[in-house]
Amino acid sequence: MVNLLSRTIMMGTPLLFGALAEVIAERAGTMVTAIEGIFLIGAWAGFVGSFLSGSLTIGFLTAILSGILVAALYGWICIYLKQHQVVTGTAINILAVGLCAFLYRVIFGVPITPLTVNPLPTIPIPLLSKIPIIGEILFEQNILTYIIYLLAPLAYFLLYKTSLGLTVRSAGENPEAVDVAGINVYLVRFLTVLLAGAMGGVAGAFYSIGFLGMFATNIIGGRGWIAFAICFLGNWNPKGAVAGTLAFGFAEAIAIYMQSIGANSFFPNELFIAIPYIMTIVLTISRKSFNVPAKLGIPYVKENY
Amino acid sequence: MQAKIRDLIITNLLAIVLGIVSSGIMLLFLGENPVSAFTILITSVVRDVYTFADIFVKATPLMFTALSFAFTYKANLYNIGAQGQFYIGAIIAVASSLYLQDILPGWLALLITLILTLLGSGLWGGFIGFVKARYNSNEFLISMMSTYVALAIMNYLLRTFLMETKAEYPQTDALANSVWLPRIIPGTRLHVGFILALLSCIGVWVLLYKTPLGYRIRAVGYNARAAKMSGIDAKKLYILAFCISGALAGAAGFTEVNGVQHMLVQGFNPDIGAAGIGIAILANGNPIGIIFASILFGALKVGGTIMGQMSAIPSSIIELMQGFVMVFVILAYFVRSWLENNREKRKLQKAVV
Repeated sequence: MVNLLSRTIMMGTPLLFGALAEVIAERAGTMVTAIEGIFLIGAWAGFVGSFLSGSLTIGFLTAILSGILVAALYGWICIYLKQHQVVTGTAINILAVGLCAFLYRVIFGVPITPLTVNPLPTIPIPLLSKIPIIGEILFEQNILTYIIYLLAPLAYFLLYKTSLGLTVRSAGENPEAVDVAGINVYLVRFLTVLLAGAMGGVAGAFYSIGFLGMFATNIIGGRGWIAFAICFLGNWNPKGAVAGTLAFGFAEAIAIYMQSIGANSFFPNELFIAIPYIMTIVLTISRKSFNVPAKLGIPYVKENY
Repeated sequence: MQAKIRDLIITNLLAIVLGIVSSGIMLLFLGENPVSAFTILITSVVRDVYTFADIFVKATPLMFTALSFAFTYKANLYNIGAQGQFYIGAIIAVASSLYLQDILPGWLALLITLILTLLGSGLWGGFIGFVKARYNSNEFLISMMSTYVALAIMNYLLRTFLMETKAEYPQTDALANSVWLPRIIPGTRLHVGFILALLSCIGVWVLLYKTPLGYRIRAVGYNARAAKMSGIDAKKLYILAFCISGALAGAAGFTEVNGVQHMLVQGFNPDIGAAGIGIAILANGNPIGIIFASILFGALKVGGTIMGQMSAIPSSIIELMQGFVMVFVILAYFVRSWLENNREKRKLQKAVV
C-alpha cells in the first residue's frame, strides 16, 4: 500500500506539471491543445540532451527550451494570428510525432538495442523521510516531485493573491478591461503559453529521463491529454488540479501494480490501462458546475477604428 | 466569391508546397538530397498501375475520417475521436464477417456487416453527442478519451475472443474470400470501398448543403443561440451529428478490414484519425474538397513508404510532411482572412469616395 501511494505521487508529478501549465494558460484565455505534442517534444529533447551530454540537468534544460519553442509556435498562431486552437493543436501534435521520430533517427540511426540513460535518482529528504509511512510516501521521491510540492502552492498564490495573477486571470475573463488598463493582452497570453510550454517540456522529460531512462515515440500515449483533462476537471484551479492529479496518479499506479502482481489472469490488463481514460469520461460527464474562464479559447481581437 | 475561391486555391497550394519543401529541408540533416528524394517520391507513385491505384486505396479510409471530423465541425462541435470510432467499426466489421461468412452468401454477409458497423460506431459516436446534449460535457475531451478506451477494447478482444486460431499473434483469422469487398481494377488493391467513400463525400455534401437537416446543422454551427431562438432543437442535432460522424469513421473500419487487410491486426492504421482532421482542415470542411485532399494525403503515404524502402529515408518523413502541411494550411487561413479584410477595406474606401 505504501508502495502504491508512493507511486501515485511519482506518476502524478508530470501530470501536475502539465495540469498547472494548462491552468495558468487557460486562466489567461488560451487552451494549450498542443500539450500532447509539447510533452512528446519534451520527452524527446530531454532524452537527447541528457544522452549526448551525459547530464540530466542539461537534458531537462533542453526539454524546457524545446517546450518553449513549440509553445511559441502554437502561441504565435493562436494568439497573434488568431487561428483556431483545437485545430492548431492537432496539427502541432502530428508535427511533433513526425519531428521526434525523424530526428531520433537522424541523431541515433537505428540502434540495435534501445538507448538508455540513468533516470533521476530518488533523493530521500533527511529527517522528513524518517517519518513512518508518510515519509516514505512523500519524501522519498525524485527532485521534480519536490519541485512540484513548491510549485503548486506558488501557482495558487500567484494566480489568486497577487496583482500579477489578477492580470492573468482578467486576460481570460475580460480582456477588454486589461487592454484599457494599458496592458498588452496578447503579450500576457503569449507569456502564459510559453510558461506552459516550459512546464509541459519538463513533464514530458519526466517520462523519458525521469523514470524510464529511454525514449519511444509512443512514450506519452495521451498523458498530455489527461493533464489537459485534469485542468478542466479541477475547475481551472491549482487546488482542483492537485486533487485531480492524485486521482489519476493513483489510477495509473494501480494499473502498474496490478500488472506487476499478475492480476491480469482474472482481470484484463487492458482494463487497467483504460481506467484513467474511463475516469476522465465519467468525471467530465458527472461534473455539473464549471468555473470556465469566460473567454477561454476565444482569440482577442483589438478594435481599431 | 470568385476572388475568395481563387485565394483558397492559391493559398492552399502554396501551403502544400511549403510543407513539402520544409520536410525536404529536414532531409538535409540526414545527408540526403531532397531533390532526388522527391523525384523518387513522384516517379514512384506513377511507376505502375498497382502503386498508382494504391493512392486511392490509402485515400479511402482518410475520406471517411475526414468527413467524420468535417461533419461535426459544421455544427461547431469537435469530434477528435475518429480514430476510436474507426477501431470500433473495424472490430464490428471483422467480428460480423467472421461470424456470417460461413452461414450467408457473401453479398448478404457484407451488407449486414456494413449495417452493423455503421450502427455500432454510430452509437459509439452518438454517446459523445448524448452526453454533450444531456450533461453539457466537453465533447472534445470525451471524444479524445474514448479513442484510448476503444484501443483498449480492441487490444483486449484481439488477445481473447477474436484471436486467430493459431493463437500466435494478436490478430484475427483471415476473412474468407466471399466477404472481401470486390476489386474494381484487377491486379490492384483498389476495391469498391473507394466508390463508397466517393459517394459518401457527395452524400454528405448534399445532406449538409441541400437538405433542411443540413441547414439546421450549419445554423447551429454558425450561431447556436440564434438557431435555438428560431426553434431548432440543438440538443437533438448534437446527438444526430455525432451519430453520423461516428458512423462515417466506422465505415473506414469496414473498408479497411473487408477491403484491404482482410483481417484485424493489432495497432493498424494508428494515424488516420489525426490525418483525417488535417484533411478536413485542408479542405476547409468541404466534403468535395475532402476527396482531393484525401487523394493528396494518400499519395504522400504511398510515396513516402516507397521512399523509405528505396533509400535510407525513414518513413516518419510522412508524418513530418503531414504535420508541416497542416501547419502551413492553418497559416493559409490567416493569409486568406487578411486578404479578405484588405479587399473589404478597399471596397469601403471606394464607396466613401
